[in-house]
Amino acid sequence: MKRRVHLTVLASLMLATGFSFAADPIKVGVTGPYTGGSSSMGVSMRDGVKLAINEINKAGGVLGRQLLAVERDDEAKNERGVQIAQELINKEQVVATLGFINTGVALASQRFYQEAKIPVFNNVATGSIVTQQFKAPEFPDNYIFRNAAHDSIQAPMIVEEAIVRRNFKKVAILADSTNYGQLGREDLEKALAAKNVKAVAVEKFNIKDVDMTAQLLKAKEAGAEVVLTYAIGPELAQIANGMTKLGWKVPMIGSWTLSMANFIDNAGPGGEGARMPQTFIQEPNTVKRKTFIEAYLKTFKPKNNRIDSPVSAAQGYDSVYLLAAAIKQAGSTEGPKVREALENLQTKVEGVVTTYDKPFTHDDHEAITANIPIFGEVKGSKVVYAYEEDRVKGADIRTKVKKAATADKQPAKK
Amino acid sequence: MNRKYFLASVLGFILLCLVPVFTHNPYYIHLVETIMIYAILLFGLDIVVGYTGQVSLGHAGLFGIGAYTAGVLFLKVGAPFWIILPACIAVTAVFGAILALPALRVSGPYLAMVTLAFGTIIQILINEMTFLTEGPMGLKIPKPTVAGYKFNDESFYWVVCVMLALSLLVVHRVLRSQLGRAFEALRGSPVASDCMGVSVYRYKVYAFVISAGFAGLAGGLYAYSEQYISPNTYNNELTVMFLLAIIMGGRKTRLGAMLGATIIVLLPKLLDDLEAFRMVASGLAALIFVGAALGIAARRTTLHTMFVPVVGTAALAAFSFWLDNITDWRLSIFGLMILFVVYYLQDGIVGFARLLLGRSNTADTDVSLQEENPAQDALMQSASSGLEDILVANQVLMQFGGLKAINLVDLKIKRGTIHGLIGPNGSGKSTMMNVLTGIYVPTAGVIEFDGRSVVGRTSSDIALSGIARTFQNVQLFGEMTALQNVQVGLHHTFKSNFVDVALHTARYHREDHDANERALGLLRFVGLAELANEEARNLPYGKQRLLEIARALALDPQLLLLDEPAAGLTAPDIKELVQIIRKIRDHGITVILIEHHMDVVMSICDTVSVLDFGQKIAEGQPAQVQADEKVIEAYLGGTAA
Amino acid sequence: MEIFLQLVYSGIALGMIYAVIAFGYQLTFATSDTLNFGQGDALMLGALVGLTLVDRMGLNYWLALPVVGLFGMVQGAFVERIGVRPAIKIKSEFGWIMSTIALGIIFKNVAENIWGRDDLKFPSPLPESPLKVFGANVLPMELLVIGGALLMMLAVEFFNRKTIYGKAVVATFNDRDAAKLMGINTGLVITFSYALSSMSASFAGVLIAPLTLTGATMGSVLGLKAFAVAIIGGLTSGMGIIVGGIILGIAETTTGFYISTGYKDVPGLVLLLFVLAVKPAGLFGKSAIKKV
Repeated sequence: MKRRVHLTVLASLMLATGFSFAADPIKVGVTGPYTGGSSSMGVSMRDGVKLAINEINKAGGVLGRQLLAVERDDEAKNERGVQIAQELINKEQVVATLGFINTGVALASQRFYQEAKIPVFNNVATGSIVTQQFKAPEFPDNYIFRNAAHDSIQAPMIVEEAIVRRNFKKVAILADSTNYGQLGREDLEKALAAKNVKAVAVEKFNIKDVDMTAQLLKAKEAGAEVVLTYAIGPELAQIANGMTKLGWKVPMIGSWTLSMANFIDNAGPGGEGARMPQTFIQEPNTVKRKTFIEAYLKTFKPKNNRIDSPVSAAQGYDSVYLLAAAIKQAGSTEGPKVREALENLQTKVEGVVTTYDKPFTHDDHEAITANIPIFGEVKGSKVVYAYEEDRVKGADIRTKVKKAATADKQPAKK
Repeated sequence: MNRKYFLASVLGFILLCLVPVFTHNPYYIHLVETIMIYAILLFGLDIVVGYTGQVSLGHAGLFGIGAYTAGVLFLKVGAPFWIILPACIAVTAVFGAILALPALRVSGPYLAMVTLAFGTIIQILINEMTFLTEGPMGLKIPKPTVAGYKFNDESFYWVVCVMLALSLLVVHRVLRSQLGRAFEALRGSPVASDCMGVSVYRYKVYAFVISAGFAGLAGGLYAYSEQYISPNTYNNELTVMFLLAIIMGGRKTRLGAMLGATIIVLLPKLLDDLEAFRMVASGLAALIFVGAALGIAARRTTLHTMFVPVVGTAALAAFSFWLDNITDWRLSIFGLMILFVVYYLQDGIVGFARLLLGRSNTADTDVSLQEENPAQDALMQSASSGLEDILVANQVLMQFGGLKAINLVDLKIKRGTIHGLIGPNGSGKSTMMNVLTGIYVPTAGVIEFDGRSVVGRTSSDIALSGIARTFQNVQLFGEMTALQNVQVGLHHTFKSNFVDVALHTARYHREDHDANERALGLLRFVGLAELANEEARNLPYGKQRLLEIARALALDPQLLLLDEPAAGLTAPDIKELVQIIRKIRDHGITVILIEHHMDVVMSICDTVSVLDFGQKIAEGQPAQVQADEKVIEAYLGGTAA
Repeated sequence: MEIFLQLVYSGIALGMIYAVIAFGYQLTFATSDTLNFGQGDALMLGALVGLTLVDRMGLNYWLALPVVGLFGMVQGAFVERIGVRPAIKIKSEFGWIMSTIALGIIFKNVAENIWGRDDLKFPSPLPESPLKVFGANVLPMELLVIGGALLMMLAVEFFNRKTIYGKAVVATFNDRDAAKLMGINTGLVITFSYALSSMSASFAGVLIAPLTLTGATMGSVLGLKAFAVAIIGGLTSGMGIIVGGIILGIAETTTGFYISTGYKDVPGLVLLLFVLAVKPAGLFGKSAIKKV
């Protein structure tokens, strides 16, 4: 009799502790701008992340534990990012952080994660040096990963589209004054130089600028046939509106941010025809994408059934699955182990953007290569495939092109 | 400083230093470090906002200059830490001067706008001058290395602690010195300040430059603390936060500055975390409720005034439970806090606490004297050599638009006499006084004091050359004590500068002691010695007028202008006043007396000039003037038929 | 030359935008010696309310104008009651500065939560294709802004000079206590001036909205630049504000083109500092002599 009681007590204790272990969630930081000019990207990313986390949790979580998103708004401010990084690491003790929309914020904040050996998954920030901040030999291991199309891919794509495919000879560059804009501008200039072309006008504008007349006039005077843009916010719409006002309409080709809702809505008819590299177009052309889009629209009900920043949402979603796979493989949430698992992912992860098959190695932390993004175009207030051939092949999953260990950084183009 | 306060501060400081010993978590160490750095800046900002009463919306810009000086010097020149930190202070102080020199010619909202514009320009320049500052990409700075030792998080924390202690010491010394009194004076009454030889403009600039120095120090430390700086940190939102910190913590107190720093650093974190916010909001509501209940019971406040805070905080707590997500409403809460502080906590939390606990703001100066020498009083013997006509005014014209307030008046004041200036209201007497002390520049005419022209010189310059005055509407420095008011008048005896004050050199000690003694002596001279530690605004009206005289005498003037000193005095007070004026004359000081009390004028004046509608209509000995027909007509209006 | 002309036109239109906002500053300063630091946010609210009326409720733009104006008056009275009057009563030196800033912050946050954080497009009541004037382009909407600004200036000057209200305003400014003793309800005068000031800001918001983007953050930068215009032109002169606005607008566009767009904001701010250092009353303002 006594033994039975003992056993029951023991069993219930074990169950209780078992439950408490199961209840102990895995904390994942989610940081981005949820207010301010970049907020449509931040909010879309966060919502994509939340969607993925809900799905995973419903299916039982990771390692028997539920994922818990610890959201923090960095307001696109570098110093906020720094503070949040310290808070998430030291106070909340997250096992990893998903996020960074703004390159500047990423560059300022990542060092803390690197020092604490906690992986950072950049799911939107595209500044080229974001994953290059901590390299050997000074840093034997790099804790920064990314599943967005970085600017060393986007800039050459933009240049290729303008110079080669559409045959423009004179280009003007309009970039904003943030880290993102200026670094992107440098990437554009590098890509142009590789084709022996120099921009006829290179102009800069500040966040919150409303009147782009001066910059556009200079570009017009210089005889520009196309305007290449690198900016993060509603100022892009003002470029389009400014062109309408001047009665000077040339094509706009720019970085992926031209797909943001606030550009499309505010530029109105002036924004039609703008083209940008995209990893994801909101078209349900595969089963996975269809499920994702439907789930997103149902859960978050965005205006006009249009995801504010489709690329941010999709990449956010994918980043969770990649991280979850790595944690599962590592069998633990310790930073160095998760990093190793990411660098040697054995299972294929089916994402919305692509299917990830060993996306990272020890020295290569970029999941997206140049062959994955295609060109999107603003048409009828939505972003659609720019080229018919891309749309037709939309259902094809483009996977990362593997490089040989000694090959250079530029992958072969498709 | 008070023994109790001193011990408490030392204890507090020790606890602060021990933080890295209690917790090794770099997050918390960095948090407290940031609070300390902001506190250093706020000490300086308090001088400008709390003491001189000017709103500066540009201190975030100065903070940025400090941070970028550190960054640029490190990156471009590779300068060592012990050169960079002083450089930060110096460079920012220079920028502070560049801003202050044009800006402080204006005040109030104009100054706020100028400083706002300055802050914006600085941010733009930092952002655009990429060749120097790397622009939006920001600068990386590692922790400093001094003599081979590389500071880590914890040891740098102690560096900041030491800097905080030093800043505290320097600020405390400055504010207790003649500089601090000058700052308070120019806020209390700018006109009086100028006329006491404390040039309002110059001291506003000093205050600003000193605060810029502190901002520079804070900025430099900040750069090393954050290890990454970028232009968009130093924006208008930060500058508003700094102001909020001072106002919320409490002006004119060091504790208030530190409390304010704590609040603005912890506030955004609090507003991020809904659970924590709920706890704090509920706790605050409970605290205010209890505090209000106690205050009402102790009769220190009423239900009416406490109604809004109690209901407001309760509503806020309720609101926090209803919300899912506090982040979206962060800024509104921030704004509501500012409103709350502006209306209910004008003296900040520290002031509010003092009110509830019934303590006063000012520390009492030790008024017991070592030696009392009744034979010799505090007045200096005025120079009896010099021109016989100490003041000569020739054909003075003062025109306002179409109105000739002074219409071609000649005046000759003989040295060592009491010269009365009388006339009906609006005849130009006070205007004359304002012209003589440089408050107005005469439209035409010559005015010479002891052979030197007065026209076009500033009031403080004129005051320092030997002309002192009192005012028709009492212009005392209300929040300062009687003793401090007189000490402002003694400002000219201080040759010590900022360095002397900060280091408490022998020269400063000597001058401080002497000023103390003389000030007491002057108060004794006018019979106010027992009220030395009373705030000037609390004194009865008659005593306030006497205090003004004592303050004016502190200038060691050769010429004293008294503007209706007997107005509002009772008969016994007037008798006392007459005696005092006689004594002043006996010390060789010339007096010009504007008065309406004819008995006073008759009894002590040697000569009397009469003005009417801006013109001199009579002059001579008192009895003569009294009988003059024109004078009677001016006062009574026309001869009886 | 065509470029320069284009820059001048843009500059004038830009400057008129600033001038229209600056009127508001002038109105409150004239009666209460205070400025509404949240003026930019009054503009923003006017624009957003106008957007709701025109876009969501389908009201005609021209009919929406007076409704927005009315909203502005209410908002201004609210700011005065909550923000400025208590601060004046407790004789706080900078209380009203902080409280108007605080109210501005609150309005902006509330707007963000109601209308969202993104910038929105305001449908233009006039055709969007540019007109050619002397070889350079001008949008019809810009002409409306210029016209509206001038009209408002005339109305204000008329009000101040010809009507009894105007005299009450001047009296309150010169000596509040004396005005009170003369039977003027100075409290009401000040409230009314704030109402008028916000009305002009809201009105400005709806005028500007089709030209720029409408969003919760549109007010801040405009507010600061309008300040500069008010100071440069003089807080007591309507003509000064128009001139100041034109100077600032053209200075901005020409600096942006001939020097660099990053430094575009600098000449205006430097001009502000310069004017304050040399002639604080502004180019057209009258320096008052303080009596002691």
